[in-house]
Amino acid sequence: MSTRMFRIFSALLAVAMLLGLVVPVAHAQGPCQGSSSQCAVEAAKQFAGTTINYVREAGLQAQDPLTMAPIWEELTGIKVNVIELAYLDMYTKPLQDHLTGGGAYDAIDLSPMWMQDYVNAGALEPLDPYIEKYMNPADMEDFLPVYRSEGVMKINGVTYGLYDDGDVFILYYRKDLFEDETNKAEFKAKYGYELTPPETEQQMYDAAEFFTNKYAPELYGLAMQRMEGQAYSWFVGPFSGRGGQFFDENMKATINSEIGVQLLTDMVKQNKVMPPGVEKWGFMEVLSAWMDGKVAMIVTWPPIGRWSAGYGDTAKQLAWVPASKVVGKVGYMPQPGGRPTLAGGFNMCISASSNNKEAAYLFIQWMTSPDISLQRVMLPFALRDPYRLSHFNSPLYRSAWPEAGEYLDTLKKAAMAGQYELGIPGAREYMEAIDNALTAAYAGKDPKEALDEAAAKWDAITERLGVENQKKAYEQWLKNPWNRLGPKVEVPAE
Amino acid sequence: MVATTEALTLKSKTPRRKRRELIPWMFVAPCIMVILLVTVFPTVYSLGLSLTKWEIGLQERPFIGLGNYIELFSTARFWHSLLITLLVVVVGVSIEFLLGFGLAQTLSSQMKGKRVIVAALLLPVMVMPVVVGYTWRLLWDAQYGPINQIIGWIIGQPFTYTWLAKTETALLAILVTEIWQWTPFMFLVLLSGLAVLDPEIFEAAEIDGASGWAKLWYMTLPLMRPIIIVALLIRGLDALKFFDIIFTLTGGGPGNSTETLSFYIYQMGYQFFRLGYGAAASFVLLVFLAVFLTYLLKAFKSAVGS
Repeated sequence: MSTRMFRIFSALLAVAMLLGLVVPVAHAQGPCQGSSSQCAVEAAKQFAGTTINYVREAGLQAQDPLTMAPIWEELTGIKVNVIELAYLDMYTKPLQDHLTGGGAYDAIDLSPMWMQDYVNAGALEPLDPYIEKYMNPADMEDFLPVYRSEGVMKINGVTYGLYDDGDVFILYYRKDLFEDETNKAEFKAKYGYELTPPETEQQMYDAAEFFTNKYAPELYGLAMQRMEGQAYSWFVGPFSGRGGQFFDENMKATINSEIGVQLLTDMVKQNKVMPPGVEKWGFMEVLSAWMDGKVAMIVTWPPIGRWSAGYGDTAKQLAWVPASKVVGKVGYMPQPGGRPTLAGGFNMCISASSNNKEAAYLFIQWMTSPDISLQRVMLPFALRDPYRLSHFNSPLYRSAWPEAGEYLDTLKKAAMAGQYELGIPGAREYMEAIDNALTAAYAGKDPKEALDEAAAKWDAITERLGVENQKKAYEQWLKNPWNRLGPKVEVPAE
Repeated sequence: MVATTEALTLKSKTPRRKRRELIPWMFVAPCIMVILLVTVFPTVYSLGLSLTKWEIGLQERPFIGLGNYIELFSTARFWHSLLITLLVVVVGVSIEFLLGFGLAQTLSSQMKGKRVIVAALLLPVMVMPVVVGYTWRLLWDAQYGPINQIIGWIIGQPFTYTWLAKTETALLAILVTEIWQWTPFMFLVLLSGLAVLDPEIFEAAEIDGASGWAKLWYMTLPLMRPIIIVALLIRGLDALKFFDIIFTLTGGGPGNSTETLSFYIYQMGYQFFRLGYGAAASFVLLVFLAVFLTYLLKAFKSAVGS
């Protein structure tokens, strides 16, 4: 055998040996039988010494991984570098990174409404092979059905994310005001029906008007986020609840239907019973007014429920949150109107450009596993909200404060009746058009005119991205019962 | 004979001269390379990009010629953003100039406490525009902002107007904020210009009985022309790219009413990933900047020449 031949043979042998070593190991990893967190830890030890970059929303959101990462590192030897980005940058930066072949991020948090764009760009790693290899199948069933559905964790039947944040709008109301006998009598005398926690938008408006007329400027009846950027989230749920549709059968926008126009007209009217300047109120303004006892009702995300109960308010990470003056006075209802908005939420995903995909996957499996995620959704300062059946049923969580059980039941009920924001290619642009219409109407523009303009923008976006492509994506998206618009969610029997 | 000598000299020195001529090029070559890489290449690349349909929602990126430019010029939102940009440049920069010139004139003579006043006036320029934006957002706040508070004191009742959420006043609030930040810059440039004017010619004019207005119109302004053009050039170019304060104060709203061209490009390119269309819009902005620059530089040359 010549020297050259020997070298070639040796090289082939080495490759064969390597394959021989790797393949049996891979086959040896069957589906996890025990706890998914433990399986993730055991498997991750082979990647000790690796560093993974994980994108998380800046600020309070990042406190959760910053707390958990050292524990993960101690268990596995894998370091997690938490990269904090502003909410809207979380859509743009990882995508820019992927498009420029950067590979700067391994694990990323993505809102379900952005998933289609990411999948279209080839920016996400399919997770099914990893799930099959490392996760206990029972733990997949533990995700609340609304969160593990098509268009959320899955796109076209392929899993691209592990859901990690049960974001849904609920109504918080002041029990003391609603249960006050004088208020009850005065309300009934004026409106002709009992003052009860509102289930419909009209009831919410009446109660808000009543409290504002009676108590302003010390207290206003209602506050909702109206500032540009994410104002659309307060439109989507009620629009669906009233029977509105995003598109007709030809993919023509129908957001400017009578239902849409009436809803926007009502939203403008609602501003009049909210605190002055509410048109520029964001999350912080609503939070401050509520915690300070300056409003009777708010419609917002779940963390406010924990903070207003004073749960864990001694945590140093919560030093910036105003002290709650409403402890023990808070009641919970799903967002009035029938279809609470499933606003935002996050999937934990793996970047297709990552060089540490497997290690990153094991990290997100560990983070979202039932036992670890329960700890995380119970962190008082974290903004992750319950999303697993085991979270809602946890005796520990249900006893976290006197009304915690009621809070968890409301969240679950709201989520199961929820309406997702549009999640097809160009979703961000579609939603921004609604946002512009809302802020323009708040500024005085005729609601019909504002929505006509938004609908024209929608049609232009659809036209540009291809009517047939968009139609196909929309039909696929509608396969999820929580994406279908209408007064009630119709979940097919499994 | 002479020709032969010259030819010999040339022949004998050519390689050395060539080397000598090459040496400066070798020194500047790294700089040229960097410039090519960071300016010329991206410009050419984005020109190519502006001729394609590059959209995040599409798998294909076809060449569409001037399609993006045609779409741009037929989009009302683009024209509106251009109008807002021009308003900021014309109205904003003009007011900054008038205020800055007035302040510079006032403070050009020796007066007590001048140094402190000048230093205090310069503070806004030193603050980052994003910080200015967020600060003014608090000042304009409907419920807790000092502006409404003061108006409330004056009119004797609570005043809770939402300046930034109303189409009629959002742009006004932006202009006030912009003028507040950049008038000091105008003031500083013009003050330094006034400081170098020869006082003797003004004394001579006074002796000849020239009024204050005549001195300003016939002497100060013509003499200050090159400085004024430079100040307008710098501020004008900056205002054409106006972005930060819009981003922090109104986010382009209500609706799209306060969107400038830079903000529009940012939305299209970096928020919606319409990179081809965004590149086309950037080129249009570049053309505006080039035209503006050429016009003012021409004016500057003629001012210096005269």
